[in-house]
Amino acid sequence: MPVERPRLERLEAALLMWRARRVSDPIERLRLLRRACRGAMAGTAAGARGNGARVRRMLAVAGAILMLLLPLGAVRQGAPERVQASEGIPFASAVSQAAPDVWLVEQQPGYELYSNGLRIERQYETEGEPRSYEVYARGREELGPVEERTVPAGIVYHSTESATAEFRADQASRLKLLGRYLLRYVREERAYHYLIDRFGRVWRIVRESDAANHAGYSVWADDRWTYVNLNWSFLGVSVEGQSAAAAPGGEITRAQILALRQLTEMLRARYGIAPANCVTHAQVSVNPSNRQAGYHYDWATRFPFAALGLPDNYRIPVPSLWLFGFTYDPSLVNLTGESYWQGLVLGEDFLRQSAAARGMPVEEYRAERAAVHRRILSRLKSRMERAGEAAGGQSP
Amino acid sequence: MNQEAKTGSGAVIGLDVGTSRVVAIRQADGQRTARAELNAFLSIPWSGMTEASLHRESIPLVVRGGEILVIGNESARLADLLGRELRRPMMRGMLNPDEPEGLELIRAILRSVLEPEVTAGAKVRFSVPSPPLSGESSLTFHEASLRRILEDLGYPDAAGVNEGVAVIYSELWESNYTGIGISFGGGLCNAALAYLSVPALAFSVPKAGDFIDASAAAVAGELVNRVRLVKEEQFHFNGNYGDKIQQALAVYYDDMIHSVVAGLRQALQNCRSLPRFGRPLPLVLSGGGVLPEGFRERFEKALAEAQLPVPISEVRLARHPLAATAEGALAAALSE
Repeated sequence: MPVERPRLERLEAALLMWRARRVSDPIERLRLLRRACRGAMAGTAAGARGNGARVRRMLAVAGAILMLLLPLGAVRQGAPERVQASEGIPFASAVSQAAPDVWLVEQQPGYELYSNGLRIERQYETEGEPRSYEVYARGREELGPVEERTVPAGIVYHSTESATAEFRADQASRLKLLGRYLLRYVREERAYHYLIDRFGRVWRIVRESDAANHAGYSVWADDRWTYVNLNWSFLGVSVEGQSAAAAPGGEITRAQILALRQLTEMLRARYGIAPANCVTHAQVSVNPSNRQAGYHYDWATRFPFAALGLPDNYRIPVPSLWLFGFTYDPSLVNLTGESYWQGLVLGEDFLRQSAAARGMPVEEYRAERAAVHRRILSRLKSRMERAGEAAGGQSP
Repeated sequence: MNQEAKTGSGAVIGLDVGTSRVVAIRQADGQRTARAELNAFLSIPWSGMTEASLHRESIPLVVRGGEILVIGNESARLADLLGRELRRPMMRGMLNPDEPEGLELIRAILRSVLEPEVTAGAKVRFSVPSPPLSGESSLTFHEASLRRILEDLGYPDAAGVNEGVAVIYSELWESNYTGIGISFGGGLCNAALAYLSVPALAFSVPKAGDFIDASAAAVAGELVNRVRLVKEEQFHFNGNYGDKIQQALAVYYDDMIHSVVAGLRQALQNCRSLPRFGRPLPLVLSGGGVLPEGFRERFEKALAEAQLPVPISEVRLARHPLAATAEGALAAALSE
């Protein structure tokens, strides 16, 4: 006969069910459940008989895992639906961390040296358009911009996804040559603010005071502000190599990770950047044409947040989903790690919560948010055209 | 592209290795294709002309000594034409130990549905039956043999999925893969109950399509193959049966249904610690056995009489009863 299970176990099962119901694709839903319950899935027919106790043990484990994976507040499935989304939805950046104390030790025409050991090479340094951007109050973007700023608000991490040689001593010359070609290319394109080569050398490309072309169609939000087109509001830092290298030798090197940490510390110290505003290109990029997030896949998984002294920002609900109604291709889930997958699913959850808070059908609310995003893009375009005319006919 | 799930050729295959039919559903580049073959063969004397004729018609066959073994779908047509009985490489859901050529024949049938020349290297998840309620039955030989055949055919990533669970994976996503799935196959009826995709119990009942065919044939004095064709083409549950074969089929169909429901009741009662479901469970019926008109209503009536220890919210047929197990096996492969 069925036995009465402890209340906690039922809560864990309810949590797992709640999570699963928010995954609309049947295969993805099955994957979620099977992953959560993997311990109980070993074996086939023979293992399936009389499995009740095993199911209960599995639920205890799965529930605990889910509790750990979910950001604070995301488990508030029963939260009052009339809460204003922008105020009621928790955000990871509420866990603020003080910026590291890093200062400039020495500045020469060819390099800069910082107190944490960071050395920035300046031979390829160039200028871009002076940074100036508008920010929106998070959740009230339809009211228009509330501030104009010139100081970067965050960092977007990229990988060049370029072909490179295997990281071996006998390939050193080739690695250096490929690195030089890449530096020239990204300088011409003004593609990033910084590029870290395979040996961990940090090259400044576009000056921090200027915009770089690293994340044009992009969205991010912290606990107060929403940023659209991060070319202007965030610094672009890229590592040479492939973020999810399949072939041996293409992986990001230890020297690059160390340099990435030092550079992140310096930039956070200089601009007071919140940890939650240090995010990857895959998290912020969007495609306005098909209204899908994750247009670029670099660092969709395995970004070493912990090694950089940052929280696992993959778990942050993806702002483009819940603020502007973007969707995502289920294939993106397959490319991501568990954490970013959580961010995608929670982003979609928050959109539903926001729609419920307004008593609107989800798709109607999604369309409304998409219209807000289009208006912001239109405004940005006009703004850049005006700036281009003011600069002598060239659009920035 | 589902990079995680795809391997080798880029295809993922769900395979239903049933006693009476083998169904393969292949997904590659977002497209699904299905192939099915009767899991049966017919032995006819060898002659060069016969073999050449069959080859000309692209009929799958194996030449063994002085006989030609016609396999798959065409074997049934030829058997009816020649007034001969079909033979099966499997019996009661498992490889038939009384058919010495069974392994070779099942290999030929699998080759026909899988098309290894274009899909070798794909991930394959194939259905395996549950042990019977009456006692332990070794599934090891059956599952290991199928895996070895698949490996030989070029599918190193092959593993079994419980048949009842596969039905749940195919049909019960709306209830978070919680509920009961029953496959009424040729050799066995396989039932499983899953909670959030995890099997809580699974069992099989050895009364299934073959049992109905053989029992009805014995009573009506007909060939089993003839009875099977009547069952598949004419039989329905309306209470008025025109001939003896249909009357016999109705009797043994009822026997099968009541055996499965009784088995379900027994399994639920014997399960020492079922999860507390909190809400009634959906129950989905699949397999060739559910195709006669009125089957669902008949089953629902038997279920109501049995008073299961867990409430049932609905009894429904699978969207594609003949393909549900293969679809569930495919879902298992894709969701790993």
